Amino acid sequence: MKCVRKFDARPKLDGSWKFIDDYSYPEMIHGQLLYSKCHHGYIKKINFPENYDLSEFTIVSSKDIPGENIVPEPVCDQPFMMDKEVMHYGQGILGIAHPDRKLLLKFIKETKIEYEELPAITDIKECLNNPDNVFGRELTIDHRTGKKPDPHWDHHHKIYYTPHQEQAYLEPQGMIAVWQPKDKIMFVRATCQCPFFVKEGVEAIMGDSIKEAIIETSEGIGGAFGGKEDFPSLLAGITSLLSYKSGKPVKIVLEREDDIRITTKRHPSRIEIETWTDPEAKKIMKIDIDYRLDAGAYQTLSPVVLARGVLHSISGYSIPDTFIRGRLFRSNTPSNGAFRGFGAPQAFAAMEAHIDEIAAGMNINPYKFRKKNIFKIGDEFPTTQPILENHLSDCLERVIEKSNYFQKLEEFKEWNKTHKDKKGIGISIGYHGGGYTGNGEKVLNSEVKVVIEKDATVKIFVANTDMGQGAHTTLAQMFFEAIDHPREKCLVQLPNTSKTPNSGPTVASRTIYIIGNLLRKFAFKIKDELEFENLEEYVTSNQNEFPREFRMNFVQDPSVVFDDENYVGVAYKDYSWAACVTEIYFLADTYQIELTKSWNVMDIGKVVNQKIATGQAEGGVLQGLAYGLCEFFYKSGYGRMHGFTDYALPTTLDLPEIDVEFIHTDSPIAKGLGEIPMDFPAPSVRNAFHNATGIFIDEYPLVPERIFKHLKKI
Amino acid sequence: MKFIRPNDMEGLFQNIEENNDRKYFLAGGTDINIQIKNGTIKDAEIIYIKHLKELNGIQIEKDDIVIGATTNISDILNSKIIKENLPFFQRSLESFASPLLQTSATIGGNIANGSPTADVVPLLLVLDAKLEIVSKSQIRIIELTNFFTGYKTNIMKANELIRSIIIPKKAENGFDTFFEKVGSRKSLMISKISLAGLKNISHNKFTTIKLAAGSLNEYPRRLYKIEEYLTDKSLLEIDFLKVEELLNEEITPITDLRSDKEYRYHVCVNLIRTFLNE
Amino acid sequence: MKISFKLNNKNVTIDTDPMRRLLDIIREDFHLTGTKEGCGEGECGACTVLLDGKPVTSCLVNAVHIDGKEVMTSEGIAQEPLGKLLIDCFDETNAVQCGFCFPGFLVTSYHYVKTDGEKNLDKIKKALSGNICRCTGYQKIFESVMMACERN
Repeated sequence: MKCVRKFDARPKLDGSWKFIDDYSYPEMIHGQLLYSKCHHGYIKKINFPENYDLSEFTIVSSKDIPGENIVPEPVCDQPFMMDKEVMHYGQGILGIAHPDRKLLLKFIKETKIEYEELPAITDIKECLNNPDNVFGRELTIDHRTGKKPDPHWDHHHKIYYTPHQEQAYLEPQGMIAVWQPKDKIMFVRATCQCPFFVKEGVEAIMGDSIKEAIIETSEGIGGAFGGKEDFPSLLAGITSLLSYKSGKPVKIVLEREDDIRITTKRHPSRIEIETWTDPEAKKIMKIDIDYRLDAGAYQTLSPVVLARGVLHSISGYSIPDTFIRGRLFRSNTPSNGAFRGFGAPQAFAAMEAHIDEIAAGMNINPYKFRKKNIFKIGDEFPTTQPILENHLSDCLERVIEKSNYFQKLEEFKEWNKTHKDKKGIGISIGYHGGGYTGNGEKVLNSEVKVVIEKDATVKIFVANTDMGQGAHTTLAQMFFEAIDHPREKCLVQLPNTSKTPNSGPTVASRTIYIIGNLLRKFAFKIKDELEFENLEEYVTSNQNEFPREFRMNFVQDPSVVFDDENYVGVAYKDYSWAACVTEIYFLADTYQIELTKSWNVMDIGKVVNQKIATGQAEGGVLQGLAYGLCEFFYKSGYGRMHGFTDYALPTTLDLPEIDVEFIHTDSPIAKGLGEIPMDFPAPSVRNAFHNATGIFIDEYPLVPERIFKHLKKI
Repeated sequence: MKFIRPNDMEGLFQNIEENNDRKYFLAGGTDINIQIKNGTIKDAEIIYIKHLKELNGIQIEKDDIVIGATTNISDILNSKIIKENLPFFQRSLESFASPLLQTSATIGGNIANGSPTADVVPLLLVLDAKLEIVSKSQIRIIELTNFFTGYKTNIMKANELIRSIIIPKKAENGFDTFFEKVGSRKSLMISKISLAGLKNISHNKFTTIKLAAGSLNEYPRRLYKIEEYLTDKSLLEIDFLKVEELLNEEITPITDLRSDKEYRYHVCVNLIRTFLNE
Repeated sequence: MKISFKLNNKNVTIDTDPMRRLLDIIREDFHLTGTKEGCGEGECGACTVLLDGKPVTSCLVNAVHIDGKEVMTSEGIAQEPLGKLLIDCFDETNAVQCGFCFPGFLVTSYHYVKTDGEKNLDKIKKALSGNICRCTGYQKIFESVMMACERN
């Protein structure tokens, strides 16, 4: 648990670390997308503004695509650029490039498109309440006993809604394509999470017109949070097409306003939960969950989000009679995509709210009710996967203890008697399965490569990117700590698809969990193979063996067997666990909630780098709290938002004191960390508000306008 | 887009006298640059004025504090004169946009831009601020409360500009003060509602009440009818239903990208109540 | 229009459109790419630089504004003793994540430590409230600036 410093912190601070917009190539021109501002319809006419020399512009449409106009995704249904029909606001119609970026932006702003508009669904509830909008495969986890609920059981039935959430990486999406006609290579510099996805994307759109696409990331990837998982494939495709047609390097960096309007967001959800609880035993006996996601106009990777959402939708409770149904709904908004948590934050937002609902109905403390029902060794997930540890319960107990939950509960109760403003305290729990779902990691078959140079420098080649989470520092650390090699002699190389083996995408909390643990094993394996005590000494005395390359593949634990058809078996080998207690202050005059303190206890297994892990967790918790409190686009109609002015990201004055503690750190395995901090905190805000006021709000986020409406109803 | 940087006030007047076309003064640039970027301002004439000393600075002139129109918000926040005379005004400005924008944004720009959400205007309204409006041949002093005529419109002629903001030195003296800016976060916030108030009480009665609201009308306004109703009443004599009724006449909140009209109205009611009770 | 100013302690003159953004001048004419564009409307602080010693969002500052003035970017501040101290503190706490907003945070923190410097969490939060960070949850940034206040 050493605190190795990040290798890239200093150059990031002084500004020398290069992000996508900091790269330049000779003769490079600038590109942008002309996208639809109509939700659904046909294009009648595109009117370019006068007073521009059109010959200076390179313009591409779907007709220019030499390959296929379909972005490679788990479901291949989204075109790179509109084909015949505009399916959503923000759909790419043309790619346009010009040497002068300012002039290009002006040209696009002045271009007017005439549409024949068709009916469109842009409202989240309109989308999710209508079963006619269902598309794609329905998922079910059926663990029903077939018995009728006992008439004495308490019945609770509620519907919970969550909104879009914007990743809001500080660096907008960007891409540079450099067409090299001599070698028929399309070189792409990308700010992305998954260089090999981008490669597939570019090779799909370019077809046989190129021999190969080579993707190298920028040094800096200015935040991603899932937002740079699949959208970069689309952007890289169009950028490549522009470079191919113009014969020049083309850079597209999106304006913030456009980025917010056209890129993927977190799926809005409607989750309906029905439970039957035994009032004597205080045990939930039966549950029925209808988990719905607004996928946007296309399915793309939504089925995978749906799978994870469904698999986490019961939260951490053992319920003998379970039925879970998951469906995707179509709307005329940009396809929603990956965002830290990947379906799980919606699941916990609903189920953790519902638990407080039941507890309140039965007049039992929410902590005590959770303890009655929480996963214990011997229990099973709805997929029949056995629970092998009590760590979730440990997290809950620890967070209750360190937050002085029961004392605060009493204090606040007293305080509230004599004050107009109210104080409240709320609990939530969560977990996150590490790595790809089910058989995913087996299919991925990740490979890593290490080259040991003559000076004993170890170069690590992985496709996983460092987008701020500190992955390249921590991955190197896992390798050099295993064999006690000097830190400065072990470096992760900048991902480049022509040099780096495919170790899979940087998603699903898998980087440290799958690749990091693999590198650790790999270090031991090389040590055994070469039989050295000290690598530097070995290299010095065996110079002729070096440089030398080593490769290793990930082998999935044989216990991971998952039936994709019936959703039975082991969905994830290892889970990270967490619990949270949040305190709020409610302002009666303005109906605003202020977060005052948030306590978070997580089990992420072995903590490789304490400071990096804590920092990442703190940031994730803030995203999670803000998801519950303030982050959303105020209006349902899509496309009206302008940028950061209309999207309330927390500032330095808005965050509560965030306390993070990791437990069970003596584990031999470093488990997933990336997503879990985002998964669980939101419902603690909602539950704390109930504790303060006695009011349940079932739609997130808890913005003052929504609270006001509820209070007026009462 | 035409750009002019006059060398002095004389040059400035000459330019605005000659040219009555669409023109915009550039001082801090925090609003105008965004409007140029999103295309609301195009093919206009931009006249730079930030360098003109006559328009800048904070001074005491007899019974007034005179703040040049192009004085930055951060200068007001750091001013000793303001601290000594108008501490409430100074304190309240801390919530203006963000520390980074306070160093560029100017007080005159915030007024002249005419946004319903302008942070400084409700404060200046309750402080009975006046504007010194100048042209080549005329100087006129008008009450800020008479300045706006509608959404982003005001009484200035094409050849005029705001030279300074005049606040009585004792504008805050002896008053209980109140300022609440409500938005979706605590910094970088565009207000959904803002309310500024001054009051003093003698023998349990409100002898003077001054109230001004932002983001609730086409431009920030004094709530004169409510002031009139409350004056010379004690807290017990106030019928809050009457206050709500009057407020309905005084404000016209809207539902927009940032909030709802019902919410805005009721928060305003609550804030007035708190202001009176405190 | 001819614009003369001091950039990171060096006198420079350029001939440019007076309305051009300071952000573009720094990045395009002087290739100082530490100053980032995050939003282009003053809402994120990634483009913060010092103008005559005060932090401003360079996306809303025009060329004409800087004539005769001093501009300091993260690259310049990194060369100053106080800038170096701050970088040490940010490095020590492992505060930096994606790093896109950090040159801006460096500039604003530098201004705070230099002009006020009190090791006071509330003051630091206020001073940094125009800079948005999406990765860190800010706490490690506060910790770093507190550390710098103490050591300065």
